Amino acid sequence: MIAKDLHKSFGDFKAVNGVSFSINKGEIFGLLGPNGAGKTTTIRMLSTVLAPDSGQIIIGGHSMKSEAEAIRSIIGVCPQDLALYEDLSAIDNMIFFGRMAGLNSQDARTQAMANLKLMGLEERAKGKVAKFSGGMKRRINLAIALMGNPQLLFLDEPTVGIDPQSRNNIYENILGLQKKGMTVLYTTHYMEEADRICQRVAIMDGGKIIAMDTPYQLKSQLGSPDKVTLEDVFLKLTGRSLRD
Amino acid sequence: MKRALLITLNEIRLFIQDKGDLAFGILLPIVTFALMYGAFGGQTLFTATARVVDEDKGAYSTILINQLDQVQGISIENLTLQEANSKLERSDLTLVLYIPAGFSDTLASGGKAELTFMQRGNGGQDGQILASIIRGVAERMNQQFQVAYQVSNQVTNNLGNNVVSQGRIKAVVAEMLNEENKQPTVAVTEEVTGGSPDFVNQYVPGIVTMYVLFSLTLSARAIVEERKRGTLERLLTTRLSPGELFFGKFLASIGRGFLQTVILMSLAYAVFQVFTPLSFLASIFVILIFAAAASAVGMIIASVARTEDAATWIGVVFTMLMTMLGGTFFAVTKGSVLEIIGRFSLNTYANDAIRTVINSGGSLSGTGRAFIVMGGVIVVGLVVSRLIFRAVPGGK
Ligand SMILES: Nc1ncnc2c1ncn2[C@@H]1O[C@H](COP(=O)(O)OP(=O)(O)O)[C@@H](O)[C@H]1O
Ligand SMILES: [Mg+2]
Repeated sequence: MIAKDLHKSFGDFKAVNGVSFSINKGEIFGLLGPNGAGKTTTIRMLSTVLAPDSGQIIIGGHSMKSEAEAIRSIIGVCPQDLALYEDLSAIDNMIFFGRMAGLNSQDARTQAMANLKLMGLEERAKGKVAKFSGGMKRRINLAIALMGNPQLLFLDEPTVGIDPQSRNNIYENILGLQKKGMTVLYTTHYMEEADRICQRVAIMDGGKIIAMDTPYQLKSQLGSPDKVTLEDVFLKLTGRSLRD
Repeated sequence: MKRALLITLNEIRLFIQDKGDLAFGILLPIVTFALMYGAFGGQTLFTATARVVDEDKGAYSTILINQLDQVQGISIENLTLQEANSKLERSDLTLVLYIPAGFSDTLASGGKAELTFMQRGNGGQDGQILASIIRGVAERMNQQFQVAYQVSNQVTNNLGNNVVSQGRIKAVVAEMLNEENKQPTVAVTEEVTGGSPDFVNQYVPGIVTMYVLFSLTLSARAIVEERKRGTLERLLTTRLSPGELFFGKFLASIGRGFLQTVILMSLAYAVFQVFTPLSFLASIFVILIFAAAASAVGMIIASVARTEDAATWIGVVFTMLMTMLGGTFFAVTKGSVLEIIGRFSLNTYANDAIRTVINSGGSLSGTGRAFIVMGGVIVVGLVVSRLIFRAVPGGK
């Protein structure tokens, strides 16, 4: 995946202001930044929902401008906010989005069961999502993104506001998917999370990428990588003023 | 296209899942129908059961009972004298017709027979109406006897005995009375104001099409609901194209509006007898096309509305305006300004088409213009809604 000099303004406000980065096949890439940094806007542009004002996007060799449909057939998106049908059962949600991703009815059902199992939700397959806990909904939200076996997965803060067990389950699953060859773009503002699973991270603030490297290299710049945390680096780079 | 159908199926599943929505969707037509029935269906005929104690069981008592039975709205229940007495005693009944033994014999021999009303008090209001109906029937029998008797007397007096047989006289008199019955000298016809079938014909189509217009608001909300759930953005990152999304929603909206309206129309069919089987089918076809046109207009609203409230209100205002201009609640005078404005209301065309179909007993001829207008709205609605749809500002 290659993004080159992406710009996006809402009115006069420059939400994304010249972002360039690329992700290698099979890599877990972390996009870090305080609230309002422009992470979600970047993901929406990369996932074909939002047209950039300028800049270039190439995913799997397809250009966004001319081959958005081809791109949509190889990506999976787990949006920051829950995006599912609460009135339907977990399995019906999964099958529906599986079919939207191009699976036939048989494959959609098989994959749905497999992914629910992955998320530890196979027992609740027939349960209405509305009755699920916050952590379970988050896991379903992620499981839906896996339907159709996308080559590139966009995960926008998939672990926000959930219990440590659900969070741990999600980490392990992401690492498991990577082993199967999936490429992942992961946004978060939990630094230890990024340190744990990302090969490379970019730190974003005010619509720009202000640092990009392996977590180890970034920490080395501040001192001994064993003593410094990614959070120290983050605060040093983005400052201590409050964001919202 | 297949994905569009999947969207439709999903929409239907969501509709069924929501028990409240489902109950509302099915109950609404039934409640609407009950209201229609209350407004238009109240003008039924007087109905009553005539209780008869027939101690005679002869030829003439049978004729009397048969003639009573043939009066519209009157049914006969036979009682024994004991039953009648005990029921009257317990106030179960207020009026019984008593035909005494020998009734037929007396009449046959030219004597004067008697009928008795056994009644509690004045027999009650229903009893009095019933009694006067029975009197009418008895009176007619009486006149027939009188005529037959007089004719027989005249013939015998003028021509002497046995020149013309009594049987022949009876037959000729009966035949002439029959002729007279067919074309009575004093005929009574009914001219009804307010409750005539035409009244139902005028308003049933309007209410039915108003009903279809509800689907306009439902389809207006189709995209906004998806947006609010967050599923719209997710859908747009899949292989589903916005065109398929719109078409799927469009089909779901037709289905829902159509289903509800068919429930309503079936009830109207069963009770009001507004339709013949053929005009019922033709009307359903008009409704299907009209539901599609209303849904297509709804999709235009869906493509611009940003909030559920906005979608609902625009939809409701549209529905109200079209319903009023379409002559649902009042007949629009030909050539009036209102009629000209009404030409801009979609359900004017649907109303006209249904009225035409009802009046012609199911023929679609003369509905061409209505179908062209509705078809045009479908095409324009789908194309325009797709063209102006932007999922997110600056988005696709
Ligand atoms: N549709 C929009 N309209 C106007 N402003 C927006 C819109 N989307 C995002 N923004 C603004 O752009 C900035 C970046 O938002 P976002 O990309 O969601 O940040 P992050 O995901 O890093 O928290 C924020 O200040 C946000 O208010
Ligand atoms: Mg965000």
